[in-house]
Amino acid sequence: MKIDRRGFLSLGVGAAAGIVVTPLPWKLTDDLSIWTQNWPWTPVPADGEKAYAKSVCSLCPGGCGISVRKVEDRAIKIEGIEGHPVNDGGICILGLSGLQTLYGPTRVKQPLMRSGNRGEGRWQKVDWDTALAEITKRLAEIRKAGQAHTVACVAGSDQGTVPQLLKRFLAAYGSSNFIRTPSIRDSYELAFKTMQGSEASAGFDLFNSDFVLSFGSGVIEGWGSPVYMFRANSELRGKGKIVQIEPRLSNTAAKSDKWVPINPGTEAVLALGLAHEIIKESLYNKEFVEKYAAGFESWEDAKGQKQKGFKDWVLENYWPASVANITGVKPAVIHELAVSFAKASKPVALCGRGQGNTPVSLFESMAIHALNALVGNINQKGGISAVPFADYINWPKAPADAVAEAGLQQPRIDGAQSDPFASRYLLNRVVNAAESGKPYALQALLVWEADPIYTLSGSAAVKAAFDKIPFVVSFSSHMNETAQYADLILPDHFYLERYQDIPTPLGMAVPSISLSRPVVKPQFDTKYTGDVLIQVAKGIGGNLAEAMPWKDYEQCLKETLGDHWDKLNAKGMLIAEQYQPPAWDKAFKTASGKFEFCALTAIGETVSIEGDKESYPLTLIPYDSMRLANGFIGDPPFVIKTVSDRILKKKDIFVEINPETAKQYGLADGKSAVLETPRGSARVRVNVFEGIVPGVIAMPRGLGHKAYDKFLAGKGLNVNEFIGSVEDPVSGLDAAWGIRAKLTIA
Amino acid sequence: MKNEQGHHKTGKKYGMVIDLDKCTGCGACMVACMAENNVPFKEDETNKLDNIMWMRVYRMSNGKPFPDADICYIPRPCMHCEAKHGHSPCVSVCPATATDYSHETGIVSQIYTRCFGCRYCMAACPYHARYFNWWDPVWPEGMKNYLSPDVSPRMRGVVEKCSFCFHRYQLAKDKALTAGHREIEESAYQTACTQACPAGAITFGDLDNPKHAVYKLKHDPRAFRLLERLGTNPKVYYVTDREWVRWMADNYQDQEQKAKG
Amino acid sequence: MDGKGQESGPRGILVLYFFIGFTISVIIGWIIFPKLLYSQKKQPIDFNHALHVESVAEGCESCHFFREDGSFSGIPKLAQCIECHESAMGENPEEAKFVEEYVAKGIEVPWLSYSRQPDCVFFSHAAHIKMAELECKICHGPIGESEHSRIYEENRLTGYSRDIWGKNIAGIKQNSWDRMKMDDCAECHADMGGGRKDACFVCHK
Repeated sequence: MKIDRRGFLSLGVGAAAGIVVTPLPWKLTDDLSIWTQNWPWTPVPADGEKAYAKSVCSLCPGGCGISVRKVEDRAIKIEGIEGHPVNDGGICILGLSGLQTLYGPTRVKQPLMRSGNRGEGRWQKVDWDTALAEITKRLAEIRKAGQAHTVACVAGSDQGTVPQLLKRFLAAYGSSNFIRTPSIRDSYELAFKTMQGSEASAGFDLFNSDFVLSFGSGVIEGWGSPVYMFRANSELRGKGKIVQIEPRLSNTAAKSDKWVPINPGTEAVLALGLAHEIIKESLYNKEFVEKYAAGFESWEDAKGQKQKGFKDWVLENYWPASVANITGVKPAVIHELAVSFAKASKPVALCGRGQGNTPVSLFESMAIHALNALVGNINQKGGISAVPFADYINWPKAPADAVAEAGLQQPRIDGAQSDPFASRYLLNRVVNAAESGKPYALQALLVWEADPIYTLSGSAAVKAAFDKIPFVVSFSSHMNETAQYADLILPDHFYLERYQDIPTPLGMAVPSISLSRPVVKPQFDTKYTGDVLIQVAKGIGGNLAEAMPWKDYEQCLKETLGDHWDKLNAKGMLIAEQYQPPAWDKAFKTASGKFEFCALTAIGETVSIEGDKESYPLTLIPYDSMRLANGFIGDPPFVIKTVSDRILKKKDIFVEINPETAKQYGLADGKSAVLETPRGSARVRVNVFEGIVPGVIAMPRGLGHKAYDKFLAGKGLNVNEFIGSVEDPVSGLDAAWGIRAKLTIA
Repeated sequence: MKNEQGHHKTGKKYGMVIDLDKCTGCGACMVACMAENNVPFKEDETNKLDNIMWMRVYRMSNGKPFPDADICYIPRPCMHCEAKHGHSPCVSVCPATATDYSHETGIVSQIYTRCFGCRYCMAACPYHARYFNWWDPVWPEGMKNYLSPDVSPRMRGVVEKCSFCFHRYQLAKDKALTAGHREIEESAYQTACTQACPAGAITFGDLDNPKHAVYKLKHDPRAFRLLERLGTNPKVYYVTDREWVRWMADNYQDQEQKAKG
Repeated sequence: MDGKGQESGPRGILVLYFFIGFTISVIIGWIIFPKLLYSQKKQPIDFNHALHVESVAEGCESCHFFREDGSFSGIPKLAQCIECHESAMGENPEEAKFVEEYVAKGIEVPWLSYSRQPDCVFFSHAAHIKMAELECKICHGPIGESEHSRIYEENRLTGYSRDIWGKNIAGIKQNSWDRMKMDDCAECHADMGGGRKDACFVCHK
């Protein structure tokens, strides 16, 4: 049968008519529309039973309680624990993004051995046995060669079992070179030591203050325990005043009751200018100063020599007019500020710029602390107090063999703790020592929860120093700059995968212990740093094995915490609720048994920064933001997403300058410019901002990463690369608060 | 036709009061929102016209010269407007009924599978609270692990916006029903941003319920809403002592400001 | 005349062609299309609901319970099955298989859910069971009486279970549980709400 055209059409019409009376077209239309709603590449997250796992965040020393929402085995969201003494439900931007790092591509998923050049990013994946054998062999060799003292360790904290294990390991090994990364902690500890004779960290009872005088401290920018300070700041609204002294209108300055713009680096001078007015007006706390302080009035020493007291020293040297000249703060403002500070019932003065990630000179921390002494708000409600270090770690002294004893005889590589005014740890000096090989050449460096290559000022010099160290080991659980520059990475579990004891959160006035508990099981082939130390010690054997008698880190932690273990597992945080800071008659452990003003008059002036005014007419200062993590961990994708396009645009970083400065140098808002400092130069874009002192360039800290993923790496510049380290001659700390710079049209 | 459903006196009116003097501009609300709602991210997020941020914190400046300059941050979720016609500007214009106004809660919804991406709603929204998925979301290796099953991940070509964490309302309701009561406690339904805010600047609850904290706060004489003159009747209130912020928030022109004050 | 005669032949053929086309389409549409559209899968274990219902105290909720947070547990997890089936309780070969392949190895059973809704749907069991006090049967049918697991049919285009559209390819339903499409939800919701539409968010996410 032949089908002609008409027949074919007829067949087609029939077919069409037939199809219409079947469900096919309607069903297919429906299905196709559903099909377009379910692309296979749009994920459908699996549902299941929900549970909340409680722990403590350790991404910073803030110690916030966290509650992690889980669906079956997956952690899906981090939240703050309501009612927690530190954060009461609140949580910071970085803490909220922890899961992006936990699961994300920046994790170090197994031990890695460098196969290319340093920092090149070429790695050989190895198993733990190989990795442990390597570190054991290298450390055993150094020790055998009588070079035990040439091994150093850099850690983000010196409190808690892991830092203490690192310290203990080094001691048994034969090295005293345990070094904590620098921060405002160093300055406070030193001020307490010299003026109060106490080994303690600083606590602030801001919730009960009524006048907070902040010398650049970013109370709402991550200073102290960030969320705790945020809460204090909210609590203070309407009840007290906050005055922010800072060259730049930071968020803290904008939210304060009064912003006092100041020339950068002159905070100590202003503090003493305020002291001048307080003393002149006789507004200081007579009881405290007369009974519990030494060196306030001039005195005659044993030899009959007249010694100038704090009072006369201040009255002679810090006249408002001359202070105004240096600081740029008008005499009337100085007077008014001094009077309102002294007349407040619970005033407190804070020190440490921005988040306090860099120390200040001892002169500055003491000058500011002297203000607290003048108003007598030390160890009082609403004031500052010296919080004793946690005392739950009571291990017997690490046994030392002959090698260890010889090693411990050697001086510390950084010369820290060498005199009463020298800081306990001086990481900045390690850079010079490694570079010059003096007092001796470093043979190995262990790095735990620190990223010195990124965070120290003068990054190029830090890298050069690392190049001189033959063996660098990082314990980082994610690929930060220092891990990228290491020879061996022995990844620790991430904070959500492990137990860890956390001492008193930074800036809290009552001693406490918190315990991080695993929220999820380790996602990758990682290992407790504590376990690595125990195993290496066993590998080397002898007194090292004796010093580390535990089966593993968890056993060590459990034994160390003793009775606290069960309570901490249940509650997460134990606070010494009965704790009261000692009364004034018992508070000071100095030679005089009093608060010593004289310590301040004995030392020198403020630290000046690198660069000459002729070639570099402007001053570059860094600034901190909650949205830019700048410690041992950088911004996860969520956080970098929130950064303003007036700070980062594509890969360009913006620097802030005053319109007057812009006009002077012919720079326009949004346009490119070349920033040059004695340490380097780079292209930046200009953000003309009314909230900054003329002559100052402000650059955000936390950008310019070279490690991490495509979401963070290569964006903007690392301000630390442009600032050189400047040593405070008294404490030895790197007290650089900026650098001379110039800005020209690109 | 949609406003036929507009007379339910029994309904709630969920809303927010944000204390701008407490807000520190830290950005925790933004990230809490993104983490809660499976909001995607991409390599470069510096073009703020195409970056999806249901809760966005804007930075305002008083425009005065140094040293009188001042800045203020203003977090902007969806306002969940309820204008005279009973709903919001976006609901009126949606040709697909992908967005509608719930008289049970006062929340403006967005149904992703219903949306075909015409973006009329984005044009209609005076608050720029709506975002378009110009690309398919891509989560880097491993990161799909943290996605929440309570909120559907979106695909390319649809609009999304703040839902006042409506899924939390649903879950709170389920919990209440299973426990044998119908009322949802104030604390049982809170948005992710409210919960996360470290400064305690955000308060959330039923604006019509005198027992809820927002009820009292919205009657604060310092309270105002964004672009109030448009008559969108938003459910997000702001509180501040700073007069310049209040002026700027309703976008008064300079000459008006002079005339008024 | 001739022309007319010649015309009647082709017209008859045309009609014939029409009917051939029509019939083929009808066969395709009603018989072949459904077979092509759905793939058939067997449940990993042939589950006897009737037997289980007999031996538990609280009916469906004995295994398909509400969690404390108000969410619905759905198909039980292995851990729950193990409460009774740590080792085989009877002689049934399916139970033996279950114990051997899943319990012993600690692997979750990859059950195929007949009523799984797409990701855009938020369905609250609490609202339907606890508030509206509906019986499970209204939506799920008399599955509790079944002695064997049905073949699971999956729509090749949408990935949904056939139960969502319904067994009847024309979408005609006789019982409330025959279909689980949005219209079926809406039908009931309209009845309950006196003709008022619920907000989209009530069921969508």
